[in-house]
Amino acid sequence: MSKTLLDVRGLSKSYATGRGRLDLFRELSFEVAEGEMVAIVGESGAGKSSLLHLLAALDKPDAGEVYLDATRVDQLNLREQAEFRNRQIGYVWQFHYLLPEFTAEENVAMPLLARGTARAEAISAARRWLTEVELADRFSHRTGELSGGEQQRVSLARALVTQPRLLFADEPTGDLDNRTADVVFSLIQRLHKAHGLTSVLVTHNLEFAGRCDRILRLRNGGLSQTPAML
Amino acid sequence: MDGERVRFELFIAARYLRAKRRQAVIGIITGISVAGVAAGVMSLIIALAITNGMQRDLQDRLLSSTAHVDLMRIASDGISDWQTLLARLKQQPHVTAAAPGLYGQVLVSRGAKSGGALIKGVIPADERTVSGLLQQVNQGSAAALEKQGPIAVPPIVIGKDLAETIGAVVGDTVLVTSPQGGLTPIGIVPKYQRYSVVGIFHSGFYQYDSTYTFMRLADAQRLFSEPDLISVISFKVDDLYKANEIGRQIEAAAGQGFQTTNWMEQNRELFRALKLEQIVTFIVLGLIVCVAALNILIALTMMVMEKTKDIAVLMSFGVRADQIRRIFLFQGLLISVLGTVIGLVLGYGLSVFGGHYRFPLDASVYSIDHLPFAPSITDGLLVSAVSLGVSLLATLYPSTSAARVLPAEALRYE
Repeated sequence: MSKTLLDVRGLSKSYATGRGRLDLFRELSFEVAEGEMVAIVGESGAGKSSLLHLLAALDKPDAGEVYLDATRVDQLNLREQAEFRNRQIGYVWQFHYLLPEFTAEENVAMPLLARGTARAEAISAARRWLTEVELADRFSHRTGELSGGEQQRVSLARALVTQPRLLFADEPTGDLDNRTADVVFSLIQRLHKAHGLTSVLVTHNLEFAGRCDRILRLRNGGLSQTPAML
Repeated sequence: MDGERVRFELFIAARYLRAKRRQAVIGIITGISVAGVAAGVMSLIIALAITNGMQRDLQDRLLSSTAHVDLMRIASDGISDWQTLLARLKQQPHVTAAAPGLYGQVLVSRGAKSGGALIKGVIPADERTVSGLLQQVNQGSAAALEKQGPIAVPPIVIGKDLAETIGAVVGDTVLVTSPQGGLTPIGIVPKYQRYSVVGIFHSGFYQYDSTYTFMRLADAQRLFSEPDLISVISFKVDDLYKANEIGRQIEAAAGQGFQTTNWMEQNRELFRALKLEQIVTFIVLGLIVCVAALNILIALTMMVMEKTKDIAVLMSFGVRADQIRRIFLFQGLLISVLGTVIGLVLGYGLSVFGGHYRFPLDASVYSIDHLPFAPSITDGLLVSAVSLGVSLLATLYPSTSAARVLPAEALRYE
């Protein structure tokens, strides 16, 4: 049996609204094993993205614990959070969120440049990953010169260039047409297998969720787990 | 903070600055910021070059007109046996020339017009080694002061302004009245003597041109009834900025009862006023840099607002808050450095051009015939430091607010 990489225990999160506090979820607990590909599904507003933010140290929970191996993610200070996001995880957003002033290879190299990797080395790694996502002919294209699917593939390369232990993807195909979405999801699946990644994906698309190892369903602030259908 | 990380922040900052803006107004304000810093720095460099030039010109002319150090008796009782003392003090270290002088207040009149004057009795050959006033005779000549022996109507050289006050020209005879007259049964009676105006000098200094009057030392001694006394020994020294120390050495060498003054002490108020003028100029023109810094603050604040999402994305892959702060700080500094460099190039360029082409001035108003430029490296360093410092202050708020962006919050509602 694979070792547990991500361990979530009793996680709760609420938000202040004009009408008092809104509980997004309460006492969520689950584990993700090394090499596993897990889909999180649920209705809009169920808290899927917020859950991913907590797992990725982009936000703090009200209660509960998040462990990545032995690292207590929910108790990291700001500097440690940044270090964690840079070295341990990769994050793909629903929108590509590429920086428009930079070329594709510069966007991909950015996480390495931020940690102090020499430019030549970072660009070389970025080109390797752009080749992996089948964009070898788009190194020096600005993001505005790329199609939606290409932009999301650049975003995927950026998330993986640091060779993270865990890939988070927040509705990575949500902003794409069906055909392009399928291409991108298939690419994520291929890279997951080829590089032995551990991945947690939020998606609305039940077909894509079914192609994962396991599905976590967020509903009414609670979590139910089902094995993938396909 | 290692070099690669700083390069990352500079890389982002420089690209953000160059990139075409979604909001054109940010680009316009950034351009105005650069132009503002450049204008402020250029104005400061030119204004300081002019005040430096004025000060240098004034100092040069002042030093060519006046001695560096004057030695006199504390009791104002005159220096006797001055030839021996003069010969001895000429041998003092740092002394390059020395000349005797006898001062006295007089009234110079021509017909109904008169003016107060300060007579200086001199030996012209010696006087020329310590003061340039006799070389500045531009009407007539001071040569007559060289003549030896009694002359019925002795020669006198007066300043241009005094000449105008009393309406005298070269060749005129003037009446000099000294209050140090002879003692008579009815008290002290002022002494009168007629002199022939042989030369009129123009130094450009009203203080000299309106009061200084030269005559032969022997004539002055006769006028003031002070046979073989002088009131001052004037010196030129080899380092005029050490005039104070050298003056103390001369005092010590002269012995008890002597004191010295030097050119710096005599003109302290003048140089203080010039310094004050320079400070006021710096403050007033420095306000241009402050306005430019305000533009930097506005441009950066708007840029942070425009880039909030990008900041959150940068943070999502591990860029730290202090790195985000430095990205915007570097942006402000890049604007400032660009503006400062342009300002320095234009400021020094125009100063050198101005110095080369000698912009004319009305000499009768300004006492110099051209605008003097003396650009200084120290001023450039000071202006650059102030410009960069003020700009750095302007970046503090926007860079700090950029570092406070919460990535999850900023991207939640996208």
